[in-house]
Amino acid sequence: MLDVVVIGGGMSGLTAAIHLAGAGLKTAIISRGDPVCCLSTGCIDVLDLGGRPMDGYGALPEGHPYRLVGKRGIEDGLRMLKDIMASSPIPYTGTIRANREILTPIGTFKTTCLVPRTMEASQGCRDEYLHVISFAGLKDFYPSYITSRLPDTGFSLFDAGCSSTLALAARFEEQGFLDEFCSWLSSIEIPPGRVAIPAVLGLKNPVAVMEEISSRIGRTLFEIPTLPPSLPGMRLFRTLKTAFQERGGEVYWGNPISSVEIRGATVEAVTLAASGRPTRVQGRAFILATGSFVSGGLYATRESVREPVFNLAVRVPGARKDWFLHDFFMPGHPIEGAGIEVDASFRPAGSSLENLFVCGSILANSEIMKNRCGHGMALATGLKAARQCERMLV
Amino acid sequence: MSIKTDVIIIGGGATGCGIARDLALRGVAHCLVERGDFASGATGACHGLLHSGGRYAVKDPEAARECITENQILRRIARKCVETTGGLFVRLPGDSKRYRDEFLKSCDDAGIATAVLSPSKALDLVPGLNPSLEEAITVPDCSIDPFRLCMLNTYTSRHRGGSILTHHEVIEVVKEKGVCVGVKARERLTSQVKEIRARIIINATGAWGDRVARMGGAVVPMSLSKGSLVITNHRLTSMVINRLRPPSDGDIIVPNEAVCLAGTTSIPVNDPDILEIDPAEVDIVTTQAEQMVPAFGSTRLIRAYTGVRPLLKASTRGGDGRSISRGFQIIDHENGMYSILGGKLTTYRLMAEKMVDVVMGRFGLKTSCRTAELPLEGQDELSGYPLTKRLASLDSIVCECELVGRSTVEHAINTMGTQYVGDIQHRTRLGMGPCQGGFCTYRALGIMQELGRVSPEVSVSILKEFLQRRFKGIRPALWGDQLREEQLIESIYLGILSMGGRP
Repeated sequence: MLDVVVIGGGMSGLTAAIHLAGAGLKTAIISRGDPVCCLSTGCIDVLDLGGRPMDGYGALPEGHPYRLVGKRGIEDGLRMLKDIMASSPIPYTGTIRANREILTPIGTFKTTCLVPRTMEASQGCRDEYLHVISFAGLKDFYPSYITSRLPDTGFSLFDAGCSSTLALAARFEEQGFLDEFCSWLSSIEIPPGRVAIPAVLGLKNPVAVMEEISSRIGRTLFEIPTLPPSLPGMRLFRTLKTAFQERGGEVYWGNPISSVEIRGATVEAVTLAASGRPTRVQGRAFILATGSFVSGGLYATRESVREPVFNLAVRVPGARKDWFLHDFFMPGHPIEGAGIEVDASFRPAGSSLENLFVCGSILANSEIMKNRCGHGMALATGLKAARQCERMLV
Repeated sequence: MSIKTDVIIIGGGATGCGIARDLALRGVAHCLVERGDFASGATGACHGLLHSGGRYAVKDPEAARECITENQILRRIARKCVETTGGLFVRLPGDSKRYRDEFLKSCDDAGIATAVLSPSKALDLVPGLNPSLEEAITVPDCSIDPFRLCMLNTYTSRHRGGSILTHHEVIEVVKEKGVCVGVKARERLTSQVKEIRARIIINATGAWGDRVARMGGAVVPMSLSKGSLVITNHRLTSMVINRLRPPSDGDIIVPNEAVCLAGTTSIPVNDPDILEIDPAEVDIVTTQAEQMVPAFGSTRLIRAYTGVRPLLKASTRGGDGRSISRGFQIIDHENGMYSILGGKLTTYRLMAEKMVDVVMGRFGLKTSCRTAELPLEGQDELSGYPLTKRLASLDSIVCECELVGRSTVEHAINTMGTQYVGDIQHRTRLGMGPCQGGFCTYRALGIMQELGRVSPEVSVSILKEFLQRRFKGIRPALWGDQLREEQLIESIYLGILSMGGRP
């Protein structure tokens, strides 16, 4: 019998699970597969309604998950992540006191808050000459999108014989390839300034790879996040998963939940549809962290929105015709507010279940695109739900 | 820059392209001017149904006869555009038996071959049909690829000295002493204006007919009605499925390549350029299609689209678009301009023939029409989209949904020399799958940059325009897995690439 079963292995689920395992509770994560985090830039967006992250806090509606967590809770979440990453090969840079910018593959600048060390030098890169390195045939990265947008830039192409970021990352983990790349890079003439490279510097030790290149060419280097699948997102996920396992956590990966057992006001167990033999996982408490639509935590039918695991009541923003605005580029489609409403203890509002907590992007009113609060909200609510759960169990 | 020719055709839909081929075969110099790519109006926004005539048999026997004749001609001359699927008219519980009897008799009168099938026979042919059907009637319906049809018609023209200008919008009809003597056409991207002079101008612009006629100082009475359709992400039936009842909303499902198209609605509109699709239209079509093929309701829709029926205004009769004749009409504006209006995709060749007959009369020439005898040229060069061919260039896939490799994309870019990403999409099926270009359009534009076809500055605005247009088609049919995919696409462009505005 487990103390806590966390359903969902994304940012919020991992955050909750790491906290609980760290508190000595017997914790397991159930995940259908690698999370949406692997598709992200790996950067932690906290809040961007102009100015510093917390400047926008007061403008959030009452029901926003951040309002339920409080400013202190947001900071706690970020601190927890920074601490975990600090003891990994990929430390994170940044603080809640300021937002920062990173260069995107299309030459725009994205606002975020915490970034992996490999993207640290992205900040301020428009103030000096920037040389973009790309790889022949890499299908999701076209340096001219960047060089045409920024005035003082140039680019060079290296032929590594592979067309995907994942294949390139594997090559950067071979010392021989790294040597070959460094000598090529040293041989080309680059005006004084910084060097940018798509995020392919290996999966395990990108900072070490970056520092080696940087010292051999005597330039500041940084990574540009790519379209999915994204190495920085995968690194973040792997680091957190490892942190959980190091704290004694168990993982059940790759199988969907086929049924749940509820007695009275208590969730007793869930069953996984494992091939061959279904697996029953029992716990004293459960945390639902299955995410929003992309990860399948929410599912829209023609008429409404469902939560597939517990069939919890979902806040649905009006009729289907009103779910989306007409302008693709205007963040804030009403459907972004869909999700599970929770009470102050992060239990689903209006539900009688006493040992179920909810966190992450499945929460109602989060409006992640509009508020640009992606991973920050996952951290804050994941930690908050875990603390509530801990309080109930201990 | 100026061009001199004998006939200017405005409009690159099936009618305009058909006229170009006919003129080319009769040796008349011509220039076709089209605002977008081929088939960008009603031609490309229809079912892609090569009518047997069954749909019109009861109400409009003449249209039905025209359809079956042209159906037989096109099967012969346009093999690479037509899939001889056959069609069924399905009678469900509650559908009128009287209409069924009338239908069989009218088909017989029009020369449309039918056979009545028992429910079990029908289910053998199309297992996905509603098992509670009363009966089904076979007709020789086919599916047709309107875009390829236009390309092949203009192939003949291009190879016989005709000039085909796509992405050129007519901005002025040039008149001298009250007579139309040419047009000014502006290239979309460069804004460069060409003046084209000719002895005759043919307005074959469908729903835009009145607008173009007015530039020449004439008016054509039209009644515009939009019809919306949806596309499924796979093929649910191998035959065309019609509902056996008087024409109404959502009564046809057409298989096309790997997908099915279903429609339509019929809603009066004023402006052929403003084409919003109401999510309620998608519900109507889906609910109706579901009655004929139950799996339709749980199938992923990849998008909706809408086209405007270019119907001639019935003098005083009211009613919806469907009650107006599908016949066509050639109007001589007696100032050097003709308008050819009405009709439908199935009868495009006949329309072109009649139009060119008029031109020949005007020029005092006698060569007769041969478009019904000669197969469309250029078909041998078309390989279609067989999986084997796509798998052969798998080294570097640009479009994962439709398995389009980089070499295919580069080939299309280089042979056409195009600056328009839509041109590549139409010719390679890039971006036609479930993500609807969400991933691959960014790549295709990147490749065009590398090949020097489009400047990176311009490509970002093209990408934005594309995403906005794409969303128009996707928005009305967002639920289930398509909504899931759309949220991922949104997180890429608004999140990772930070291309969004501020709320």
